[in-house]
Amino acid sequence: MMSIFTIDKVKKTFTNGEVKEEVLKGINLSLAEGEITALVGASGSGKSTLLTIAAGLQPASDGQVLFEGKNINAMNQEQIRQIRASEFGFVFQFAHLVPFLTVEEQLMLMLDVSDSTLKKTEQKREVNRVLQLVGMDHRKNAYPPSLSGGEKQRVAIARAIIHQPKVLFADEPTASLDSKRSKDVMALIRELTKTLNITTLIVTHDEEMLSYADHIIKMSDGLILQNENPELVGRA
Amino acid sequence: MMNLAWKEIKKSKVRFLILGSIVFLVSLLTFIISGLANGLSQDNAALIKDLPNGQFYMDADADETYNLSRIDNSTMEKLLNNEKDATALSIQMGFLNDESDKQQSVAFVTSTDSKLFPHVKSGEVILDRSMEDKGIKVGDTLTNNQFSGEFIVKGFVDQTKFSHAPVAFINIKNYKEIYRVNEMQLVFLLGGDSSQEFAGLQSFSKQDFLNTIPSYSAEQMSLNMIVWFLVVISGLLFAIFFYMMNVQKIGLYGILKAIGLKTSRLFRIMWAQMIFITVPALALSIVLCQVFNRIAPEGMPFSLTMETTATLSLVFLIIGFIGATLSGIQIKKVEPLQAIQQGEM
Ligand SMILES: Nc1ncnc2c1ncn2[C@@H]1O[C@H](COP(=O)(O)OP(=O)(O)O)[C@@H](O)[C@H]1O
Ligand SMILES: [Mg+2]
Repeated sequence: MMSIFTIDKVKKTFTNGEVKEEVLKGINLSLAEGEITALVGASGSGKSTLLTIAAGLQPASDGQVLFEGKNINAMNQEQIRQIRASEFGFVFQFAHLVPFLTVEEQLMLMLDVSDSTLKKTEQKREVNRVLQLVGMDHRKNAYPPSLSGGEKQRVAIARAIIHQPKVLFADEPTASLDSKRSKDVMALIRELTKTLNITTLIVTHDEEMLSYADHIIKMSDGLILQNENPELVGRA
Repeated sequence: MMNLAWKEIKKSKVRFLILGSIVFLVSLLTFIISGLANGLSQDNAALIKDLPNGQFYMDADADETYNLSRIDNSTMEKLLNNEKDATALSIQMGFLNDESDKQQSVAFVTSTDSKLFPHVKSGEVILDRSMEDKGIKVGDTLTNNQFSGEFIVKGFVDQTKFSHAPVAFINIKNYKEIYRVNEMQLVFLLGGDSSQEFAGLQSFSKQDFLNTIPSYSAEQMSLNMIVWFLVVISGLLFAIFFYMMNVQKIGLYGILKAIGLKTSRLFRIMWAQMIFITVPALALSIVLCQVFNRIAPEGMPFSLTMETTATLSLVFLIIGFIGATLSGIQIKKVEPLQAIQQGEM
């Protein structure tokens, strides 16, 4: 069966003046629907580069990134923007919330950007529902500066899924959080992936977080080392 | 579509208030100086400025100085006979002594029969209304040291000044006696344009003629220069301010682009904010200018027409738009990835 998301012989070379550095040396990877794939590996091994290429935030030097069978590596900026806006969700190390919007408005903006066909009242109801999912409905009128790091990250996750994306990309989403909050955030991502049937690609260097993944991909020096299925502690 | 522009202004009131007050102050200054420029030019040359459109002629040997112009009488007669809309006129600065023997500086003006200038009989004078403030009334008798007779004040006309002095219309015969001349300085051809040439005469449009008045061009040039400097400075202010704001917001723009906002929408946000700031600031300075107009001291020449105000406001908006857009080019360059890698904003 055709996978929803396939990375095929992807290479990435950065050129710094005379110096050429091949950061990805031919990556093949398929992501499964409704499952979390975790990318691990030493710092500098190319995890973030791979994730951002997959998410259409930078082009690959060679190879294909196939989303629903279409190569986004060959699309123009506007086509990629449309896919990012309506089909992808992003969570990064920092929440990157819009400082002048309330929690509720952050999510309303995302619905707006993804050209949601819902009516205004339906949008509000949907926002409320998702805020409940991440446990932030009681702070919906708060502005980001008044939220804690963990709360901000939960809002960022809500923003990443409010428009029902098919693929969720997360680059070290727990790196700025303490251990307890990290587990909460990972449990939340796992729960959402399962209940909403999202295809999730997550980068982490935290061994503890691997228990929440369905697949673990180890990267080293621009190549995939091994592909394994972990013991899942998170599962009941 | 969500109004991001307004939401940001509400959350960063101080920042936008500062820009708004700068725009307000600069535009107020521009309006006031422009009002003064216009007021001074009225004060300097309302006699000429308020004439309908037409062409001026003076002696070609006069070195473009109306004072030195002596139009040959035969040339003048021929011109006046052929062109029914032509009027010959002369202007000279001088003095009138009022009933208490105080000297009043005036601009003596005389003309051939014309509907453009009041008709004055010998021994009579018609004055600019500002002379009323000096205590002169209809029926007063005024004298001039070079004039054997007396002038009886027949009436007043509004807003008729030349070279910052009130105009005194007198009869040609009296004028010729005071200045001991036989020729007229100028011919004004109502409705004429530069295509009409007459031998021995140099032709001037109204604006060209105004510029031959030495004090007029010097005054207007420096004031207009200040006005345009202020306009350019306000454009720069916009550019610099939005540039600084945009630099601080690079991270935000990157994130908004990453989640899928179009670059064009980011520009629209910036333009909307520019208008949100500029329109109230301009409105406030227009209102204050009108107040200033009312309370300006009597002797201060200030005249700001609605037309000038509208033009300057439009120029401000356009300049603001250009300034903001130029500084916004960096928005176009922002890569979403940059912002994500930059870390927390
Ligand atoms: N824009 C870039 N220009 C040049 N080199 C880069 C760029 N982005 C990443 N790199 C290099 O690519 C390598 C992999 O980086 P990255 O993908 O961030 O690794 P990881 O996320 O696994 O820590 C690093 O050596 C980094 O210096
Ligand atoms: Mg990384």
